[in-house]
Amino acid sequence: MKSISTTLVAVVVLVVIVAAIAAVFLMRAPGGQEGAGEEKIVIGMPISLTGKYSVEGEMSLIGALAVIEWINEQGGVKVGGKTYMFDLKYYDDESNPDRVISLTERLITQDKVDFLISPYSSGLTFKAAPIADKNGVLMIAQGAASDKIFQQGYQYVVQVYTPGSRYLTSALDFVKATDPNAKKVAIIYKENEFSRTVAEGARKYAEQLGFQVVFYKSYPADVSDLTPILQELAASQPDIIIGGGHFQDGQLLAKQLAELNINAKLVSILVAPALPKFYEALGSLADGITYPAQWEMGVKYSPDKVPEGYEWYGPTIDEFLKYFTSVAESRFQKQGLKPSYHAAGGGAAVLMLAKALEMAGTTDTDAVRKAMNNLQIQTFFGKLKIDPETGLQIGHDMILGQWQSGSKVIIWPPEAANAEPIYPLPPWSEKG
Amino acid sequence: MVFTNAVRRALRKARLTLAAYIILGVLYLAFPHYSQLIATLMFYMILAQAFNIFMGMTGYIDFGYVAFVAMGAYGMALAVESLYELGWASIIVGFLLAVALSVALASMVGAIALRLRGAYFAIATIGVNEGVRYLIEGANLVGGSEGVIIVRELRATFGRETANFIMTGLADLALLLIGITAVMITALILSTRVGYALQAIREDEDAARALGINVTRYKVMAFTISAGIGGLLGAANWALKGGYVEPAHVFNIHYTVEAIVMVMLGGPGTLLGPIIGGLFYGSMNYFLGVIKPGLQLLFLAPILLAVVVALPKGLMGYVRERVKDPRLRELLT
Amino acid sequence: MPFADLVVGTLLYGALLGVIYGIATAGLSLIFGVLKIVNVGHGAFMMIGAYTTYWFFTLYGLNPVLSLPFSLAIGALLGLAFYYPVVRRVIDAPEMASLLATFAMGLLLQEAARMAWTSDYRGFSWEVARLEIGGVSIYASKLIAAGLALLLLLFHYVVFYRTKLGLAIRAVVQDREGALVVGINVDRIYALSFSIGIAITVASGSLLAIYNPVGINPYMGAILTLKAFVIAVMGGLGSIGGAFIAGVLFGLFENVSYVVLTGIEGVQPLVLTRFIAFTLLLVILLVRPKGLFGR
Repeated sequence: MKSISTTLVAVVVLVVIVAAIAAVFLMRAPGGQEGAGEEKIVIGMPISLTGKYSVEGEMSLIGALAVIEWINEQGGVKVGGKTYMFDLKYYDDESNPDRVISLTERLITQDKVDFLISPYSSGLTFKAAPIADKNGVLMIAQGAASDKIFQQGYQYVVQVYTPGSRYLTSALDFVKATDPNAKKVAIIYKENEFSRTVAEGARKYAEQLGFQVVFYKSYPADVSDLTPILQELAASQPDIIIGGGHFQDGQLLAKQLAELNINAKLVSILVAPALPKFYEALGSLADGITYPAQWEMGVKYSPDKVPEGYEWYGPTIDEFLKYFTSVAESRFQKQGLKPSYHAAGGGAAVLMLAKALEMAGTTDTDAVRKAMNNLQIQTFFGKLKIDPETGLQIGHDMILGQWQSGSKVIIWPPEAANAEPIYPLPPWSEKG
Repeated sequence: MVFTNAVRRALRKARLTLAAYIILGVLYLAFPHYSQLIATLMFYMILAQAFNIFMGMTGYIDFGYVAFVAMGAYGMALAVESLYELGWASIIVGFLLAVALSVALASMVGAIALRLRGAYFAIATIGVNEGVRYLIEGANLVGGSEGVIIVRELRATFGRETANFIMTGLADLALLLIGITAVMITALILSTRVGYALQAIREDEDAARALGINVTRYKVMAFTISAGIGGLLGAANWALKGGYVEPAHVFNIHYTVEAIVMVMLGGPGTLLGPIIGGLFYGSMNYFLGVIKPGLQLLFLAPILLAVVVALPKGLMGYVRERVKDPRLRELLT
Repeated sequence: MPFADLVVGTLLYGALLGVIYGIATAGLSLIFGVLKIVNVGHGAFMMIGAYTTYWFFTLYGLNPVLSLPFSLAIGALLGLAFYYPVVRRVIDAPEMASLLATFAMGLLLQEAARMAWTSDYRGFSWEVARLEIGGVSIYASKLIAAGLALLLLLFHYVVFYRTKLGLAIRAVVQDREGALVVGINVDRIYALSFSIGIAITVASGSLLAIYNPVGINPYMGAILTLKAFVIAVMGGLGSIGGAFIAGVLFGLFENVSYVVLTGIEGVQPLVLTRFIAFTLLLVILLVRPKGLFGR
């Protein structure tokens, strides 16, 4: 009996395998909905829905889809007298660099997308860039804050995020303006490409502003105890502690600062505090902790208040929120999801492309890339403008967010702020 | 004479496997739309094959195998970074340096770890992989945690067009050649005394030693060959093709686990097995990811469980047990 | 800060973390000792334990300590659920079959967890006192987690050396054929050992969540598997006491080497402690190829 069932299973397995291999070569991707005869511009996006970047990946995908839906409901993009609807095709890259390469190519050559939005993270964008460049497809890099991608000479890659070297500058500006007595800065960061760029940028900027960097050290990935490094940090008696890396270590860093009772006037941590789960994880300990963000829900960017030289483009923040919620609920079954800055960045990528298309008046890639150089817009995400030479983002500013009684508020820069800062940070012992 | 005979026998053994690579090469040219998919599949196939040379044949599981692939990636990246003004020569030096670095690491690891058995060996090699990674990151060697980026160098030397060709065409050609080399080496091992010796070691190492087989010599030989091919793979796929060598990526132990899975799927110690395993795993994952983005791994897991329960000796093991015709059996080694 | 405080802090935290490492490795060691299977999905089972504690606390306000029995039960059931259809069939197959099977098991758990609970990084705040020990401040929850780990180890020890089941397990480990002859149901012993091993592993995930109640996510298992492997081998595979002692050593060593390394210019001491810890593993294996307590 047993051998028969085993044989049966084996045969079934063999058939599945052969069918699967054949199918890979025959299947076409399930794309977006086919419209009735209207002109379409198709955007491709390899994005992490599984693996270590899945939280940010899904956010940026929903953000991009939300803005696309907004544009389509406004009647599409007008390019040289013709109106186009946007469509987005995406695949899950599993946060895996090897996968990004083949999926990017698939989007370009098989799904014939007209433009690309990059995967989340600099590492993955690095792998997509040569494929985009070889095929001459313009890629809007969202979620990739590395400065280095834009030093490689790629002509078809442009950036949405404020680059990593300027990530923590807002925190330093804030302290400089608020408290002339705060002098000593401790920088503690996760040892990887992104956080190191941020930390180096912060150190340079701090010294420029006349701060004294008293501690500058890193910890490895997947760390489970920061005691030794934090004790040494405490010994340097800093006024300001800035740094961090990603979600897990960022939560741990905050928790252990409290545990070891290491107090400072300002604590600013990368990435982790920007997501709502941070408060759930840390409770009242999170109150007062600040974080640099590309964007935050309460920002006051609006069509009524546009900086000199910029013009307003795209949905207002309320419109973006509305479309974000509807996409999250209808297409991803996420009730009550709030957009993080990753979502806003994904949406901003679509806006940059739409505006450049309108400016170019044609869908030709080179013309659109050229138009991108003159693009200078204020959006719900903030200012957007690139360096024509490299594609690096130079218009967008970071904001400084802070947790206050369980809500995220914005305390810097003044033109975006919506709350009074808590400064200095009360000692941990007062938070129970 | 003996040697040419061995080559002839190896070629005969490798007919089907070589055909697989040549078919992939033809498909690559015929369907440029699928070129990167085919390149990815080749990467998986070679990874499985190179891993198989040591693990499949000796039964030793090297969990830290990816360190050798990483060494190769660093070899190429460092050569291009420092010698890019020499043009094509820097890439040739890169491949040589890749092999040299991975073989050097393999000899060092071999001297220590090959005295260990079973799980102790497997886990000592994890120690080597992680140790090297954190040494690079912690002591800030060769770029530290930022790694080495060579895109700018490639573009500066060769211009945009050629640099793109190197990253997406030449690197793929290199993969094909490395794959064929791996096939030939495996076939040669299988059809010479070395293969029998390794097989004896796999069955019973102490008995093999008692029979007068120089166990250490054969083990080190298979270990370094396997590492060398891994180095070439890293140089072609991660440095040349990716343009960016980042420690968190190239030392990721997930690649070793994938190699184990692929070898196991196809059938360890065989010639065709790792290739079938690589093709199956690579295309299955890709296919599921394309039709159900985000759910592919959830589907893949039960499939793997079904395979291992139904075919504990791998696909090739299963097929071979059922094929009676000796000529067909030989073809399927 | 005086040097003495630095040492006290690193020793204290290192030892406590080491105790958690130790219990996190015990299940792996047990399964290897009895079934000769290396569980590549080890960390995924710990992840399930961490989520168990998290959910019971977040949804029902259950004291994390009281979630431990639930973790043990869930682990025992998971163990049986995987043993009969899968593990049982690969015990006698080549080693690689069991590696593939346990890899797939881990992948399944990880992806199922992601589908059910999303890949958000979660944490919880269990309000307990903060203590001062030798001038170093520490949460009481860490001490509680370590205490529970010791209790679990004791439980493990009692099962193994003071019960009939333990006797039968040891008999199977020593001589499987002999055990069959004297009428021991080897298959059942395997099933029970696997189930107990997974139960302890899941429970250790809960303890980890009490120790560090942050960063809980479906992918947290990979690094835990890696560390458990290293510690299991350091202690001697199959030796549960060895795993425990090696865990403490590993935790201590990681932290103490920081104090030494921080004096070196131009390096990142906390990153280098990893290098030192793995070098220690190799040195131990060079001197004792079967680990500290392996036979």
